[in-house]
Amino acid sequence: MNIVQKVGCLAIGLMAGLSAYAQPVDFTAEPLELVTQVSNSLFDDINQNRAIYQQNPTGLENVVREIFIPLLDKNRSARLILGRHGRGLEGEKVDAFAEALLNQLVGRYSEGLLEFDSRDQVEVLPLAGKNTERQTRVRTRIELSNGEKAPVDYILRKTDDGWKAFDVIIEGISYVATYRTQFGEEITRDGFDQVLERLQSGSIALE
Amino acid sequence: MKNRSAKVFSRSGVTVLAGMISLLAGCATTSGERDPSDPWEGFNRGSFEFNRGLDKAIVRPIAKAYHYVTPDLLEQGIENIVTNLSYPVTIVNLLLQGKFEDFGEALGRFVLNSTFGVAGLFDPATIEGIPRHDEDFGQTFAVWGWKDSPFLMLPFLGPSTLRDGIGLVPEFYTDGVSIASSEFDRYEPLVADLLTLRVNLFDLDDDLNEAADPYLLVRDAYMQSREFDIEDGETELPDYDDFLDEEEE
Repeated sequence: MNIVQKVGCLAIGLMAGLSAYAQPVDFTAEPLELVTQVSNSLFDDINQNRAIYQQNPTGLENVVREIFIPLLDKNRSARLILGRHGRGLEGEKVDAFAEALLNQLVGRYSEGLLEFDSRDQVEVLPLAGKNTERQTRVRTRIELSNGEKAPVDYILRKTDDGWKAFDVIIEGISYVATYRTQFGEEITRDGFDQVLERLQSGSIALE
Repeated sequence: MKNRSAKVFSRSGVTVLAGMISLLAGCATTSGERDPSDPWEGFNRGSFEFNRGLDKAIVRPIAKAYHYVTPDLLEQGIENIVTNLSYPVTIVNLLLQGKFEDFGEALGRFVLNSTFGVAGLFDPATIEGIPRHDEDFGQTFAVWGWKDSPFLMLPFLGPSTLRDGIGLVPEFYTDGVSIASSEFDRYEPLVADLLTLRVNLFDLDDDLNEAADPYLLVRDAYMQSREFDIEDGETELPDYDDFLDEEEE
């Protein structure tokens, strides 16, 4: 899997694990516990339903979609990605952008989740470095099929609805920062409305 | 996108590189919106287009064919061999950075894989849980204090910085793959290394082709990824507040 795929499916994975399909996750948990529960829950679910999902990728996608959207701080991600291009936009346009971006991610990367065989492939490391009351970086290591371990960090922020992730950093490459450059370039060239339209119609590249 | 391109070097390559760097120093371009980390964007974009053309016409098709005909297990073994041959670069640089504990570990990995691993064909070190460090001279220069360096897209060799490009010179004399070709006229490791490198990038082809600006994607990913390598994973987070508050340019 490449970086973008990893970002996609792990971001989704983080959230999809909050599903009721495996053990329930405590939504009010602190970041470290939250990520651990989510990851265990997710991989157990995939193990149980792998055959079904392989036959029916849309089923997997629907499950992911249903539980993914309410649990990610997608608007914060979108605002960070849009940066100055997002200022002065009506709230609905930012919402639409966030929604379309998420739909693309789910549609494109859900299947990548099937590559993981076991919850033991994910190791959640103890908290380290600068974490605050409002923002926490949860570090994990994902074991790939060749035995190597890829560092994947989730950046969570405390909201009124509990902790939510708004960025994923895979091997040092931030999803938000990278999309920000790419979308910034496109919006400068074609304008926000056109970019949004392309994203909604599914014809835009995410990278 | 690791800086493993050094193996492509021949001695003449080093000379060409040195000449090119001195040339670049005098030709910073100035038009349009510039990223301060990329003063040579004009040159770099030209170089990027050249590399992509070369890749599409020659490198990628050959790598595709190699990947197609080679059984997976053999391909993994070949990758293990060239990775192990290049590992002295990491070992030397761990020492230069004063990371003595990691140095011992890396030396152990190299000895174990070179002996029980049958000249690196197998990777018993990973099975034993010995981590694989990743260091090179560019990282060492950064640890020594040369933190920021302009992005440099090297013809043939790919994304780099001025600092990392200069680091390729000592790397040439440390890397078993380049030593095999320069000292012993054995080019198999070099070819195997190039093919492995390219095969490992197949997954990125679609992303690159579909990107709004492929050059910026490569630059962005390279710079973030190098920062991460230099700091051994302890990179600062992006300045998210600044993402929201930035002024109109």
